Amino acid sequence: MIQLSYLDYSAVEGKSSLHRLSPKVKVIGMAFVLLTIVTVRNIPGLLLLYVILLGLFLLSRVPWRIFSLTLYPLIFAVLFIFVSGFQIRFILLVFLKVLCGSTGVVLLLATTPYPSIFRILGKVLPPFFVTALFLTYRSVFILLDVVEETQHALYLRGGLQWRHPWRSLVNISNAFGHLIIKGIDASEKMYESMVLRGFKNKIHYRGE
Amino acid sequence: MSHIHFPDGVLPVWLWVSGFVVTILVGVILFRFTKKEELARRLPLLGMMAAAMILGASVEIVPIAYHVNLTVISGILLGPSLIFLATFLVNIILALFGHGGITVIGLNTLTLSIEGILGYFLFRILWRVLRRLTPAIFLATFLALLCSTVSMIGVVGLGASHYEELIHQEDEQGIFEFKLLKDKADHPEASATKERVNLKRFISIVLPLGFIGWMLEGVITSLIGRYIHRLRPDLLRLEKGTP
Repeated sequence: MIQLSYLDYSAVEGKSSLHRLSPKVKVIGMAFVLLTIVTVRNIPGLLLLYVILLGLFLLSRVPWRIFSLTLYPLIFAVLFIFVSGFQIRFILLVFLKVLCGSTGVVLLLATTPYPSIFRILGKVLPPFFVTALFLTYRSVFILLDVVEETQHALYLRGGLQWRHPWRSLVNISNAFGHLIIKGIDASEKMYESMVLRGFKNKIHYRGE
Repeated sequence: MSHIHFPDGVLPVWLWVSGFVVTILVGVILFRFTKKEELARRLPLLGMMAAAMILGASVEIVPIAYHVNLTVISGILLGPSLIFLATFLVNIILALFGHGGITVIGLNTLTLSIEGILGYFLFRILWRVLRRLTPAIFLATFLALLCSTVSMIGVVGLGASHYEELIHQEDEQGIFEFKLLKDKADHPEASATKERVNLKRFISIVLPLGFIGWMLEGVITSLIGRYIHRLRPDLLRLEKGTP
């Protein structure tokens, strides 16, 4: 999740043709990718889609460090193969669907700044919901700063050690507790500053 | 473990569409019954708790594919209606990072919110009965996660016929089509056995792994609860005379 800030940096600072493409077109493209994943049930079709997405990944010059995010869902897809009784074709089909979906969404997020995506979602979803989505996304970055601070405190208290599981559990729980309390404090301050700036249930984006 | 990390296109369309419909219906009902001013005031808190859940989901215990959910502690702090909206937000953002498919957002919201809502009510009941914070939070978390895992297994079970189609469609269309169809006609009972999706195996893997996860989450949540109780007891909204 620390890669989140890196993903955001890539979306804002990237200069490729995919970065310059209209966010609306990219969201429609993502919808098309999803439709293909849901409807196509053969391996060559999905493989073709994956190759196209990899090609777009190369074209967009998104750092390869971000690519590891697309492989992450495979950890969970492994569980699903037990349903099939280890049939190679089914496993390939599931893995390709996972990879196409994750590559598509990571590519969308790595080439489109999140306010642009939320602005498009705002046309379909209620404004209250889009505001909540925006605040959640913003809060992730606030909490990431707290996590960085907490990490130092955690190491000073022994950090995470496999040899001392109970102490590690207490440390990790205290870190989460600290994160939650700091987060709640920050949310109270955030609300007060938003009200001072005229917040009334909706965040207005530039150009609206 | 308690929510579905399945990709898009594996669950049948009717199932994930129903998930979205039910989620939207529940969301609209909750939105109608919550005061607008109260909702606006608690929006930053909702966002912050959802963000904490997202960060919790990034702490992965790889060998058992488990991550901390923090849904129960968020449910206790936010209450039943806001936790539903928080889980919806969490699932949308997680799906944007490829953590679970986009089409299963509705179903994931339902299973995760079962965890948060049940966790809230179980904690309130157990607190009244036990009057001790740590066991009340631990039991509430354990039982809530057990229920949401069972509901997740139920959702997977509902799609069994669809997986069979996915597994065997090529057999029916491929170059061996004639032979297979002939076999089917000759031995219908053998064919029926072959086509059965192995849900038992799935359950036998998910439940033991889930058990480790429920225990871990139960311990972590109760320790977090204890920490919060020590520093900000007002957040837990317990009655006076607490230990």
